[in-house]
Amino acid sequence: MARVVLENVVKTYGSFRAVNDVSLTVEDGEFVALVGPSGCGKTTTLNLIAGLIPITDGDIHIGDRLVNDLDPKDRDVAMVFQNYALYPNKSVFKNLAFPLQMRKLPKSEIANKVHEAARVLDIEHLLQRKPRELSGGQQQRVALGRALVRDPRAFLMDEPLSNLDAKLRVQMRTELKRFHQDLGATIVYVTHDQLEAVTMADKMAVMSGGDLQQYDTPKNVFDHPVNMFVASFVGSPAMSLIPVTVEESGGTVSLKSEEGWSLPLSPANARKAQSATSRKVVLGARHSTIILHTEATKGAIPGKVYTVEPTGDITFVQVFLGESILIVSLDPSVDIEPDQQVWLEFDQDKMHLFDGETEMALKAVNK
Amino acid sequence: MTDATLTSRPARRAARKPIDGWRWAGRFFLLFMLIFTVLPMAWMFLTSLKSGFAAMQFPPQWWPAEPTLYNYAKLLDPQNSVGQDFLRYFWNSMFVSLTTTILAVVVAVPAAYAFSRFRFPGRNFLFFSVLFRNMFPAVIFLVPLFILMRWLGLVNTHGSLVLTYLTFGLPLAIWLLKGFYDNIPIQLEQAARIDGATRFQAFLFVIMPLSTPGIIATAIYSFIGAWNEYIYAYTFLNRNDQLTLPVGLQRFFAENTTDWPGLMAASFLMSVPVVVLFLVLQRYFVRALTEGAVKH
Repeated sequence: MARVVLENVVKTYGSFRAVNDVSLTVEDGEFVALVGPSGCGKTTTLNLIAGLIPITDGDIHIGDRLVNDLDPKDRDVAMVFQNYALYPNKSVFKNLAFPLQMRKLPKSEIANKVHEAARVLDIEHLLQRKPRELSGGQQQRVALGRALVRDPRAFLMDEPLSNLDAKLRVQMRTELKRFHQDLGATIVYVTHDQLEAVTMADKMAVMSGGDLQQYDTPKNVFDHPVNMFVASFVGSPAMSLIPVTVEESGGTVSLKSEEGWSLPLSPANARKAQSATSRKVVLGARHSTIILHTEATKGAIPGKVYTVEPTGDITFVQVFLGESILIVSLDPSVDIEPDQQVWLEFDQDKMHLFDGETEMALKAVNK
Repeated sequence: MTDATLTSRPARRAARKPIDGWRWAGRFFLLFMLIFTVLPMAWMFLTSLKSGFAAMQFPPQWWPAEPTLYNYAKLLDPQNSVGQDFLRYFWNSMFVSLTTTILAVVVAVPAAYAFSRFRFPGRNFLFFSVLFRNMFPAVIFLVPLFILMRWLGLVNTHGSLVLTYLTFGLPLAIWLLKGFYDNIPIQLEQAARIDGATRFQAFLFVIMPLSTPGIIATAIYSFIGAWNEYIYAYTFLNRNDQLTLPVGLQRFFAENTTDWPGLMAASFLMSVPVVVLFLVLQRYFVRALTEGAVKH
């Protein structure tokens, strides 16, 4: 296994910049997820690492080698495709053997390695079948087996779970994570599902519009999103974002909404709010950090319940705060009805403030 | 894993539709069409078994009263002058058709692959110019091609026919095969290249085997086109020892008489290679027309 380093990587198609100056390091043995909405450049980035498309600018290193101009076959990476890309005319055995044959290994060694990989993935009984005779989950294991059979420097995975049904996806997610832990494999994993990234990856790279927005551990990305895009993309349900203005009177800094409610800020948050480029800021709060009161409470802002969505162990409530909708999570035992009057209290330590102009997270500055 | 297996089974079974009225209508239509295609063939075969006199009787003798293989024996006998000619024409046709077929496949496979996979300047122009030829009936090119062949010194050679048949056959062959390559997911090649294959190896080991039905369909198409062609063979070749079968069959039309049973026997023998080719390769041909390339 090896580390993968991207330095100022650019890929353009005519005037369109599919990947825009992306730099990131995947350490040896790390599981990194590239996440973002479709068209954000994550798959293009993966294909650049694999060498399937030529790089426009920047450098890619795999291990200690600069691979910019190397053919895919010489990069010594393995890839799992979204549609698995199993060779339809070859048996499972031959699918697994193909990468080894291409490397001209002796026949007996090929057979050993194929059986070993098949044993690890529990597909030994399928070796003589053709891919079309397998279920989706089995095909996915074969695809994984073909990657794993030859001990590559890094695994590249392009949405490998998205063709599976929901239940199988959760199961394979666990298995992939286990697989990573057991092998200590370097994995670059592309997904549009932030949940897959959060649950499996050591680090996640959030991309949008060809730009790398944030590259950090899932916890840091979740707790400290650098901008409004990351804040709303990571976490489900999404973080509620409310546009407000900063008001200062008599030494107290507060957030004021168009509808008239105002929220006095803690000293730390006040310093953040004052660092904004204008008076326009955006208040961000995750569902779990908002406390819902059914009676008027000091410091809480009145709102009206829009919908109630019980999911079993958590009930999500959408609340209208003037024109903005917020999502709050509740214990299912709390009795609540649509159109009910409620009061919302924000946890000042866990709320997020973004610059209304630049959409970047605000940081406290010492004056 | 088990539940995924279970869910995929009924889906496959549901693909079989129950036999309904439309299906029966379709069968009757096919039967009707079969009469049109089989009856002339049957008449040809039956006539070939008759004597010259029996073939000319009126009212016609539907079933040969005294079937004879005399006509076939004559055609296949190298000692006989008719047989000598027939076998030579047969060989000439075989040579021209096979050469055309092999060259068509050798050129069309890489060309179609390139049209399907690569973006290069002039790609669309080239591709449509390939189809452009098909807008005109073949006979329009008879005179220009004859002049060209004379200039190249190819008149009275089989090369002139091979070149001409390729001119007509290649565009469609490329077009047919391109459709095939378009249907093969590019990820298969990418997977192969990551697995350690060069671009050419990926094509050879992964893409080629998948396009076998397409290649066979293309080959059959080219072969039949060349095998049956008459007008160019008639124009470009004048020497008796070079004629191909369609032209050679004219020998049976003498000035005042026509040896119908002999002509029919020769025609029947001429259709044998095509029928055999079709029977042997038809499962590929059907797959080529119905399945595209790779099912998902």
